[in-house]
Amino acid sequence: MKYIKKILGGGLRDYTMVIALVVLTIIFNITSGGKMITSSNFQNLISGNAYVLVLAIGMVMVIVIGQIDLSVGSVAGFSGMVMALAVRDLGLPWWLGVLLSLAVGATIGAWQGFWLAKLSIPGFITTLGGMMIFRGGVIWISKSISVPAPVELKVFGAGYLPEWGPTFTGMNNSTLLLGIIAVAFFAFMQLRKYNRSAKLSEKTEELWAVVGRIGLIGVVIGYITWIFGTGRPGTSFPIPGLILVVLVIIYHIITQRTTFGRHIYAVGGNKSAAALSGVNVQRTYFLTMLNMSMLAALAGIMFVGRSTAAGPSDGSGWELDAIASVFIGGAAVSGGVGTVIATMVGGLVMAVLNSGLMLMGVGADRTQVIKGLVLLAAVGFDVFNKQQGRQSIIGRVFPGKRK
Amino acid sequence: MKMKKYVSLFIVVSLIMVMLQAGCTRAPENSEPQPNAPDETSDLDGDGFPEDAVVGVALPWLGTQNWAEADEMFKTQLEAAGFEAIVQHADNKVPTQQQQIESMIQNGAKVIVVGPVDGSQLGSVLEEAAAAGIYIIGYDRLIENTTGIDGVVQFDSIKTGELQGQALLDGLAAKKGEGPYNIELFGGGPADPNAPNFFKGAMSVLQPKIDDGTVVVVSGQNEFTQCATLDWDNSKAQVRMDSLLSGFYSDMEIHGVLCPNDGIARAVITASEQAGQQLPVTSGLDAENETVKWIWEGRQYSTIAKPTDTLVSKTIEIIKSLQAGNGMPEPDTSVNNGKKEVGIYALPPLVVTKENEKEAFANDPGRLELLK
Repeated sequence: MKYIKKILGGGLRDYTMVIALVVLTIIFNITSGGKMITSSNFQNLISGNAYVLVLAIGMVMVIVIGQIDLSVGSVAGFSGMVMALAVRDLGLPWWLGVLLSLAVGATIGAWQGFWLAKLSIPGFITTLGGMMIFRGGVIWISKSISVPAPVELKVFGAGYLPEWGPTFTGMNNSTLLLGIIAVAFFAFMQLRKYNRSAKLSEKTEELWAVVGRIGLIGVVIGYITWIFGTGRPGTSFPIPGLILVVLVIIYHIITQRTTFGRHIYAVGGNKSAAALSGVNVQRTYFLTMLNMSMLAALAGIMFVGRSTAAGPSDGSGWELDAIASVFIGGAAVSGGVGTVIATMVGGLVMAVLNSGLMLMGVGADRTQVIKGLVLLAAVGFDVFNKQQGRQSIIGRVFPGKRK
Repeated sequence: MKMKKYVSLFIVVSLIMVMLQAGCTRAPENSEPQPNAPDETSDLDGDGFPEDAVVGVALPWLGTQNWAEADEMFKTQLEAAGFEAIVQHADNKVPTQQQQIESMIQNGAKVIVVGPVDGSQLGSVLEEAAAAGIYIIGYDRLIENTTGIDGVVQFDSIKTGELQGQALLDGLAAKKGEGPYNIELFGGGPADPNAPNFFKGAMSVLQPKIDDGTVVVVSGQNEFTQCATLDWDNSKAQVRMDSLLSGFYSDMEIHGVLCPNDGIARAVITASEQAGQQLPVTSGLDAENETVKWIWEGRQYSTIAKPTDTLVSKTIEIIKSLQAGNGMPEPDTSVNNGKKEVGIYALPPLVVTKENEKEAFANDPGRLELLK
């Protein structure tokens, strides 16, 4: 047992939610008769949930600073509609429409950040206002009629990577390349870490454990690559998924490796202490809200691309999906705790639940009930563990910056 | 430590199962290329499919009676015909419906019947289904902005609107004496492509009468976007009616209201009642149970029956034709959905007033029961 533990590099309890995700997937695969783990279903799972996960990236940062953003659904709908209208009525090229939409998102974020940071209106109120303003706005500018989106946008919402190179690989070569890059990158990072700690003569790990870990992750990534790469010809790892992965990497680095990221956790953990130690609280609030709305605009664009049209009710209820993902991922309501990667796992748990229940033919009504119970169970479990004086399990899922 | 032991054992077991799964799924995927064959498009008159094939039905929601009936009838009639039916509703949410259609593709459906939440937001999902060789039949609402649609079964929506307009005029003449009549206009949910057509049809009848002064739209709100009711939501219609009544009718009588469906008609009637008005003459649509009663009691003047069973039987008739390998039957008409010409299987709607109510529901014991 201790060998496995060493390979995983830390307590097995750190992986509770990941295990839950794997178990859920396997259970659904059995109950649905093998329809869960297939290329096309995994592709659907990613393109159908990428926009919510993009929202969740921004939302975890907002929740870590101890605020909440209720307006993201409306902002996503509004920005998507602005883009569709700008392209259709003003004749802008599609990429200019996308840039315009992101700019609109950033402006909205600045507006909300202004109310929160400068006027100290709580985020809940600021964004409740925003939720109404921009829901009304999208209905207003669209006259509540759906607007077809430029066809090029389909790439962002439902596109696949190109097919190229030799056919003997038996799969989509773009996906294969991505998989190889991912394994190589992981191996490189692990070995670099190993070398550094060896140089500092703080050698805590044996080489075989590192190699074993690389092997294990390699198999997992290889398997996922194989699933995504061997679907219907012309399909691959979906482009919305690729956008998501890039964002996750960027935001993981921002939150864990930069000064701004440390400020976010400091402000969320203890605002006064952070202010006293020289953190600009207002600036942190402002930038976090600005970033959230910009990501919301991006999510709106991705959804419009998938739907091939922007509709007046786009985005209603998305904020709640995003918030649920963050809390299932182990963030604390009081702020200061939560990581981007754990949030992605939380979001995927919801996505797998959705997909599995649909495959089994469970209706939208009972699916809602089950998702609600899962949210309560996940957070309740976390709180229970804290009350027992033990360390929070879900909070430890991934090492974050905590007090 | 024991706990950890079990957890790690579990991981190993799950990994092994995943690996086994990998081995298992590969074989059928290679040996049975049919459902995913890229060159097989749904436009071809195919070779049919087995009699117990999976048929998916994606409905928008169960919030109005016609959808609840469709849900029930599709389940029983598809099962009776020997198909394996997956009937789901999306709670009026576009993303939910997209995912449901995808899961139907996963479940190997040969035909998917779609009553869209928003007729123009299913583009890429339906094209994906079409690429997998699945027939897509639109149900009750036109599906726009996509090539992945093979035909739409619906009641003729322009005709329905014309009948609504005519029923309103007939009712005014019968109940409110000589004109001019004061009326207001309501439209349906803008996301539903039928709604503007209902309105257009009704206005083609009403506009000449507005022009010659027989009827007067007192509020002046006669554009579809001004009159539309978001999501066909009755409560929103009631709020609009309340404000129209307090704004324009404080010293005037309202005689008639063009209502695109029964729920909105009842909301309008309730609002007028609460404002102390004489009940206005209204049109309606769907012949919901509550309205069938109201018409019998004389509270609502008319509705239009679009019997759900006619719609469902026509749809199942098409599915059976596809199953036998005869392809899509010849459509009655066709309409451009923005990407291609789509065949429309149009069914005739029926105006129901108190006079013809008993004969209209002669074959419908459930509704006949209400006429006591």
